[in-house]
Amino acid sequence: MKIQKANAGILTNFEVLDFLRTRGAKVDPMGCLGAVAASECKVYEYLLKTPACNQTRESIYEFVKRSAGFMLAEADKLNVINWRPSSAADAYAMIEECGKRFSRDYRGEACDEDKRVQEFLDMVKEVLPPPPPKAEAEAMQE
Amino acid sequence: MPPHLLSRPLPDAIKTEVERLFLDKVISNLGLCVSVYDIRSIEGGSIHPGEGCSTYKVSFRLLMFKPFNGEVLVGRIIGYDDKGLQVSLDFFSDISIPGHLMQFGTVRGPDGRWMLKTEDGDELYLDLDDEIRFLVSSTKYPPIPIDQKEDDPPFAPMQIVGSIKGDGLGLLAWWAADEEEGEEAAEQEQEQ
Repeated sequence: MKIQKANAGILTNFEVLDFLRTRGAKVDPMGCLGAVAASECKVYEYLLKTPACNQTRESIYEFVKRSAGFMLAEADKLNVINWRPSSAADAYAMIEECGKRFSRDYRGEACDEDKRVQEFLDMVKEVLPPPPPKAEAEAMQE
Repeated sequence: MPPHLLSRPLPDAIKTEVERLFLDKVISNLGLCVSVYDIRSIEGGSIHPGEGCSTYKVSFRLLMFKPFNGEVLVGRIIGYDDKGLQVSLDFFSDISIPGHLMQFGTVRGPDGRWMLKTEDGDELYLDLDDEIRFLVSSTKYPPIPIDQKEDDPPFAPMQIVGSIKGDGLGLLAWWAADEEEGEEAAEQEQEQ
């Protein structure tokens, strides 16, 4: 076997989920025996628990467009799309060198980084749908 | 292409064979193969002397699980020992978080569990089945060992080392319930 290209591109969790869904993966393990393998089913179930489960292609395009002014690296955008930060702590975890990146706004002028982080979080909240509440899991634990 | 698959339509049979070879297997330095993304071209179809199977040259794309350094993932704690924690994503379980990559002040408690002592004096335990958010620090692909002793742990062809040192990392419960405490801790770490 010859490897033609080691890395042909990066996919977000949503794209992998969409791909598995079109191949016929379902939550019920018996239902997807023919179309997809058991290991793919496990990946599908894992991804359903992440915020990617109710994203749409349009919301991701919208997010990429709107984040252009924030000067984020590809890796940062991927983290944000996959995990949808909802607080400043989440944003600091997902974006490398968050303080330095947000200390300048899109015009290159210095600005207050906390305010910038908040602007970014508001944009994320607006564009990417929130993950569904884990009400069932909590009920089971009780 | 083994003879018993020859009666199926060619693209399906080739896909089955590629899946059998790669699905759920680790390719060194490329990650874990999750799925066959597509088959781009099939050429050939010659039969070599002395064999019953036909040989094709197939060009295809595989969907790989290969987290980059700096990617954030969420998994469950499945074990802990002297060196650190073991975390699992349901489809992949060889993730370890060593003691030196945990938040400042995390120590091993009397019963063996790892615990973080906050400034307020709270003891936050890292328990089994807790959901934990971690940063991928590095991924190792150890070579296949020649001999294995009986009590060695099963060979893991791909090992991910994670870190929970940083804002927003660690148990999800730490950051969700008390966002105010989290931000205070973040400010204190920045001052340090």
